[in-house]
Amino acid sequence: MTRDRGWLGIAGVVAIGLVLSLALSERYHHRILTLVFLWATMGLAWNIISGYAGQISFGHQAFFGIGAYVTVLLAAKLHLTPWLGMLGGAGVAVLAALLIGTPTFRLAGIYFGLATLAYPLIFRILMDFLGYQEVAIPMVRDHPVLFMQFEEPRTFDLLALALLAATLVLSRLIETSRLGYSLRAIKENEQAAEAMGVDAFRCKMAAYVLSAAPAALAGAIYAHAILFVVTPDGVFGVIAIVQTLTVCLVGGVGTLWGPVIGAAIMIPISEILDATAGDRFPGIQGVVYGATLMAIMMWAPEGLFWRLLRRPASVARATPVVPAAATAEAPAAALGPVQLEVRGISKAFIGLQALADVSFEVREGEILGIIGPNGAGKTTLFNVLNGFLLPDRGEVRWLGQPITALRPHLVCRRGIGRTFQVVRFFPHLTVLENVMVGAFAHGDAPGAARERARDALGRVSLAGQADTLPAGLTTLELRLMELARCLATSPRLVLLDEPLAGLSSDGVEMMAVMIRRTRAAGVTVVIIEHTIQALVKLADRLVVLDHGRRLAEGAPGDVTRNPAVIEAYLGKRWLARHGPDHAATLRP
Amino acid sequence: MSRLTRSLALTLVLVLLAPMVAVPVAVAAEDVKIALVAPLSGRWARQGQLKKMGAEMAIEEINSQGGIKALGGAKIELREADAGDSVEKAVSAAQRVLTREKISAGIGSWLSSFTLGVTEVAERLQVPWLTLSYADNITERGFKYTFQTSPVSSLQAEQALDLVVEIGKKNNRPLKKAALVGDNTAATVFFFKPLREKLLAAKGIELVADEVWTPPLADATSIVQKLRATQPDIVFYGATNFPDSVQMLQKLKEFNVKTIIQGVGAWLVTPEYVKAIGKENLDGIQTVVAAHPLKGQEALVKKFVERTGEPFMTQDPLCTYAHVWLIKEAAEQAKSADPKAIREALAKIDLTAGPAATTLYPGRIRFDERGRRVGAIPIIVQWQNGEPYTVVPTAVSTRPLASVK
Amino acid sequence: MAASELAQYVVTGLLVGGVYALMSIGLALIFGIMRVVNFAQGDFMMLGMYLTFYYAVALGIDPLLGALLNIPPFFVLGLLVHRAFLARVTGGGDPNREMDAQLILTLGLSLVITNATTMILSPMPRSINAPYASKAFAVGPLLLNQARTYSFATALLLAAAVYVFLTRTDLGKALRAAADDPEAAGYQGINVRTMHGVAFGIGIALVAAAGGLLASYHPIEPNVAVNFIVLMFVAVVLGGLGSIPGAFVGGIVIGLVQSLTLLLLPLQLQNVGVFVAFLIVLYVRPQGLFGRRARTV
Repeated sequence: MTRDRGWLGIAGVVAIGLVLSLALSERYHHRILTLVFLWATMGLAWNIISGYAGQISFGHQAFFGIGAYVTVLLAAKLHLTPWLGMLGGAGVAVLAALLIGTPTFRLAGIYFGLATLAYPLIFRILMDFLGYQEVAIPMVRDHPVLFMQFEEPRTFDLLALALLAATLVLSRLIETSRLGYSLRAIKENEQAAEAMGVDAFRCKMAAYVLSAAPAALAGAIYAHAILFVVTPDGVFGVIAIVQTLTVCLVGGVGTLWGPVIGAAIMIPISEILDATAGDRFPGIQGVVYGATLMAIMMWAPEGLFWRLLRRPASVARATPVVPAAATAEAPAAALGPVQLEVRGISKAFIGLQALADVSFEVREGEILGIIGPNGAGKTTLFNVLNGFLLPDRGEVRWLGQPITALRPHLVCRRGIGRTFQVVRFFPHLTVLENVMVGAFAHGDAPGAARERARDALGRVSLAGQADTLPAGLTTLELRLMELARCLATSPRLVLLDEPLAGLSSDGVEMMAVMIRRTRAAGVTVVIIEHTIQALVKLADRLVVLDHGRRLAEGAPGDVTRNPAVIEAYLGKRWLARHGPDHAATLRP
Repeated sequence: MSRLTRSLALTLVLVLLAPMVAVPVAVAAEDVKIALVAPLSGRWARQGQLKKMGAEMAIEEINSQGGIKALGGAKIELREADAGDSVEKAVSAAQRVLTREKISAGIGSWLSSFTLGVTEVAERLQVPWLTLSYADNITERGFKYTFQTSPVSSLQAEQALDLVVEIGKKNNRPLKKAALVGDNTAATVFFFKPLREKLLAAKGIELVADEVWTPPLADATSIVQKLRATQPDIVFYGATNFPDSVQMLQKLKEFNVKTIIQGVGAWLVTPEYVKAIGKENLDGIQTVVAAHPLKGQEALVKKFVERTGEPFMTQDPLCTYAHVWLIKEAAEQAKSADPKAIREALAKIDLTAGPAATTLYPGRIRFDERGRRVGAIPIIVQWQNGEPYTVVPTAVSTRPLASVK
Repeated sequence: MAASELAQYVVTGLLVGGVYALMSIGLALIFGIMRVVNFAQGDFMMLGMYLTFYYAVALGIDPLLGALLNIPPFFVLGLLVHRAFLARVTGGGDPNREMDAQLILTLGLSLVITNATTMILSPMPRSINAPYASKAFAVGPLLLNQARTYSFATALLLAAAVYVFLTRTDLGKALRAAADDPEAAGYQGINVRTMHGVAFGIGIALVAAAGGLLASYHPIEPNVAVNFIVLMFVAVVLGGLGSIPGAFVGGIVIGLVQSLTLLLLPLQLQNVGVFVAFLIVLYVRPQGLFGRRARTV
């Protein structure tokens, strides 16, 4: 969706909301409208942390409840106008987000969700204990508007609509900013994101804090428009998170239209059910919500928005990617100074010595291949170089500076890029947007990032695919995209983890051309490959690892004749039977 | 606009317009509609059910005697709404019933916590509301449309304490240690507060256990363990619903804790206790209520029992019966079914005769500017031989106070 | 405080912990074998309570026996629920997404079960009122509620039976194989999907049995699950997600924490102790006491 369409869409939603609010007259209809706007807002808030960043929170009602309680308590005890009290509520919610997020974001996966569950439960108990089990909004007759007490129910819808509009704008701003791209990268694969320079912890915290404020404001309005008496169960209870989840899941996660669609559909249905059948069948709402959640998870887990939206995959990919000819075969320049020094790296896991005293150097401008049989420790080595693992012993130096303990996103910003064995792309972003995530490593402005991304795509001959979705790409094109994403971080050295795996011989040829092109552009390349054959022609030097040890190092021709290397790959018996020279002619 | 956006917009508009078709439009009718918002499902359902019985009996009497004469014989119709088991449900029910049709006045919602929420709605929608709930704060909010006929919790606490201290002196077993055991709903809160803060200390009684829970009561064991360890002479008891209460009483029996039980509320005098606890174990348990059949009300009780099959009549149907008759009187005096007019009439009313006045002790209905009934006096009820009887005030008691063994 | 008073709190906590332990084993089994966090676990327990209530009131069967009689029908129910719903949720092949999707699916299932029960059976709480529910064994100065004591003993027996099943029988070993390495298990001829269904069935049957035991002394109502589901989660996380012995120990510990918290905090804050313990475990040692450190991201 282009930038302009997004803003236009927001304006459209607000306009429709306004029209409905002015047109409808029954009190009951206004109640429904207010609820639609409020839950859409809550959904959008949840979406910021759970949709964009993928950190599913089961405790967002904590902020909703904080907003409601702080605002009403300030009005009841200190006679403070809720217009200001609301801001106080949002402030407390933001503080709570910081306090809750700091320890909780260190948890991954299911543990994060479970931990978030605990907080609203604790707040519920505390409110009961403190004697706030029913805080009534004090009725103020002399300055009702100052205390958010409106005779005219329409005013509440408009207030809720204003909050919805603000939250839509906030979401859109996030979506199109560096933070938005970073969050989506984190959702897809946090490690890959870190390797592209994204500080995952800070981004998640930023998202969490930004998501707390609208939730708190929604809670404050909800208390005044719907509840009148704030109870722990009413604002911290399960129904709040269930409605939030339903609204987002039905409408679509990870997009700002999702919660709006979800709220527009689910809320009127549930309110009508409650009004018509609620007396005879108490609990009908719960059954409907529950059944909806189940149905969505089974048949449309991405939500209606993504289901209905069919982006035409660009057909242009029929044209075969033509390798730019021999210009890529630039003669290996005189090797530059040592850029990366690996000294005595050892790393053990339980029951396995993954790396044992590995040392080598990488010179500027060379293509270094790291090979070895399965389980040799190649990827572990990369993980150490990158900052994902801390070695037990040894040191890594980059441009003379030690980087052994540096976090991955900082390693990236120092100039070391990385690709991964399995390409993790962001399915809902275009190829260009995928590459943009990397482009943000050196700057905030989306426009400049877009340019850098386009440039990187051009360097891998993928410019034609910029506006397609990755789902339509071939394996080769995906790998090229990943390379582009890595190059967009403006690295001086790239670590490529099995870039040739799964490619046909034409594809291998093409990747090789790209790799040489990369080197020709002044980027040092370190490649892991499992098979020797491909690297023999590509690499300047090879380092061989076996069982975590550096077995051999040198020019490809020498290394492939090395008996120890042959034995490692093919076994003692083979070596004895065929001899070292035979190995060089082998096609693995 | 893209195809998608257009279809989304269309869906949005259609779905939002649907309620206009689904919700019935108010139909003008001659009958005077009274709303009853009470718990009809959940743990407080029994109380709501009893209220409904009382209301129905009064409505049938009024309608069969010619309806509201000042309105040309207009009949009364009851509109009930289930307050469920939470404040949100009660508030939601009140909103539903008060916005669907023109309601002249309302009654409910038994549990003080629910009443607080429901009256917030009634006040904003300007519909007069009668309640039997006890919590002080119901009539401390400066509301104009709320009318509380029961004596408030703090007053009940004072009088109950005076009574039990007097009994203790008379039986030569002075009270030295007391315990407060109850939930955190409003009536109990306002009953316990003055006891905790000053009344017990003023009588030289030590507070040895203060156990409050958020309903539903998950497990009575820990509370009874505490009572067993501290051995209070008297337990002021505010469980407010039968399931919580029966757990507590059974656990007391199991742990063999012997003490005087002074309850607050009519939830402690429903017939189910006899089967659940046993007649012998109920004997002597007292509770302070807003109303209970008094000397001279035998005919009313007989009619109720015959009509409903209940073994006896208690506060809930009594008060609701009185409330319906009170609204009828107000409508007669206002000569209107308009809620505002009825409110005016209630604010000025001074009844000393008629079913409403004679049901509520001491026989006069008049409200102060807060909406509180002037001169309301608590009634103390005691279980004797499987049935609860009014024992205090002695002038209208149906049985003398029995001493606890 | 007298030693006997303290001992009373400990005993109360242990007795209730035994039943928590049985509830939690079911949850741990389901997570351990299929990596599903079953939010609806408490609601199946609630259904088990109702079935035992029916056995007691309509057929005159003692609830302790009724609890055991819950096992066959709930095992079948578990198989059906798995086949109909859980097996269809794959999350697009991404294990993290899959776990989230199943969590939400089971959350939906929980809502449906609770609210449908409210609609059909009414929310009025009911009790079985077994005679031994309001009597206690006197052991010195200590009072042990009889129903809870019987339930504790039965819970221990059932837990031991599960342990033996998993470690000694072929089916049990097949289940564990399917959990440890689904691909390899598949090569060995083990139908992993069926194993998941069996695991779910056993997990549900266990928690329904726990419900039956609970029904002998606890009021039965549609919303009863909400009190226990969080306790179950805490117990399972404390023991280590996926570890059966861990869940057992976790359940006992949570029972004790709940009871002993009352020595420090008032009744209303009783569960705060449990939740704070939950958070501490998650932050300090998420793999719990017995769990393996799972590779998460």
